[in-house]
Amino acid sequence: MKHSLLLVFLLCTASISLSQDRSRQEGTITRMRMTDCIAAQHPLMDALSGNRGVMMSAELCPEYVLVTNSVVYVIVGKGSDQLVPLAETTFFRMQHNELLIRIDDAKHESRFRVKQMLLRPEWERGQQIMEAAASTTLRQQVDGVVLVNARQ
Amino acid sequence: MADVCRVGSLLRTLLPSFLFAFLAAVLPFPAPAQTAETPTGLTFRSNVNEVRISFSTTDRQDRVVASLRPSDFAIVDEDHVVRDFRSFTLSDYTRLDVVLLVDASDSLQPHLKQEISNVLHVIGQSTGVPEDSFSVVSFRGLKPKVLCQGNCRALDLGAQFPAVSAGGTTPLYDSIVFSARMLGQTHDIHTRKILVVFSDGADTISLASLNDAIDSTLHADAAIYSVDFSKAPHYGQGTATLRHLAATSGGRYFTAEAGADLVLNAILEDFHATYTVAYKLPSSAVGFHLLRILPTHDLGLQFHCRRGYYFPNQY
Repeated sequence: MKHSLLLVFLLCTASISLSQDRSRQEGTITRMRMTDCIAAQHPLMDALSGNRGVMMSAELCPEYVLVTNSVVYVIVGKGSDQLVPLAETTFFRMQHNELLIRIDDAKHESRFRVKQMLLRPEWERGQQIMEAAASTTLRQQVDGVVLVNARQ
Repeated sequence: MADVCRVGSLLRTLLPSFLFAFLAAVLPFPAPAQTAETPTGLTFRSNVNEVRISFSTTDRQDRVVASLRPSDFAIVDEDHVVRDFRSFTLSDYTRLDVVLLVDASDSLQPHLKQEISNVLHVIGQSTGVPEDSFSVVSFRGLKPKVLCQGNCRALDLGAQFPAVSAGGTTPLYDSIVFSARMLGQTHDIHTRKILVVFSDGADTISLASLNDAIDSTLHADAAIYSVDFSKAPHYGQGTATLRHLAATSGGRYFTAEAGADLVLNAILEDFHATYTVAYKLPSSAVGFHLLRILPTHDLGLQFHCRRGYYFPNQY
């Protein structure tokens, strides 16, 4: 009886860890900034207070852009000190609309709110447009300086 | 140009060599992007695509980390995470230029005089720095006063320290701007420039703002090591100011209780264990690029680096 219970226990543990491994994904954090925290949403309270959508708090929280092979996640921490090591590869999994990142030192996973999800080609196009705009601004500024110098 | 955190640049060869030589001779610092118009109306443009930063690292126990590897950290430039570095080396500083900035207002004087004496005593015995220059500036009333410049090892504080008068004003920010300009006069890239601020963080009369003080420090490539003389437990506005000054310039913050030895040891440790990293400019966004260095594995590591740099270089 004991042996069969032990066998069942081992099988359950193995299947759970296997399913967790399967749900675990990997990506790379390519952007990081401090931004307004997204306060927890309480639909009933929001409805009563007249607020709709996302509420912002005064605190600043880390926002990360996590790039995977096909999807780009923009995630926001729940507190200002919720920092993630910026290793080349970040392992994560999704659970109840939250993104969970395993940090080596910590005993538990760190939970992040998903602010945005984009297909990678779409996100890359956006990045190229932004960089082109920045380059144009830079060129205009440098040309302006040259013009001023030439007039002087 | 560089000290605690050096933001330099290398010019890409888009110009004919003769024009590059001409620009290099005319410009005071290599700028991130420069263009020149010839008499014939042709415009030549050179692009800079490299950023260089110097920084020091401490562990959870605030001990300097002398064996850092490039895989131990990532740089967040504006919001881009940079892990691919073009180079990573120990900084080759050979000289130390230190200004001790002393708040001489009535509330601080008795304790402070002893501390400065201790610092100068330790300096007099220090042998870890090949070449050094120590100056002492005090501030009280309307403007700072240079007590000695260059070699202050033999300074007699009893004779030089300004007399105390009750109700004196404290031009802290003006004095930081003044001292940063003193340090900025040295353009040797092998000189590490340090401003040690002994103060309670209060400013009552400066024309300059806190941001002006920070900007002048960044411009001089100096790092502020602040020593907090405000009343323990150091939670006030003055403490926040001193912490901010240290953090944004790549220096460190100490309480007065830590003692002069610890401050000087930190300066010397950082002098010997400062790293310089170079990487490709991640974004051409014009303006101030915020910098942050973060660990890739060990969240206990603290990186001391300047707050950022201007692109294109405005100085």
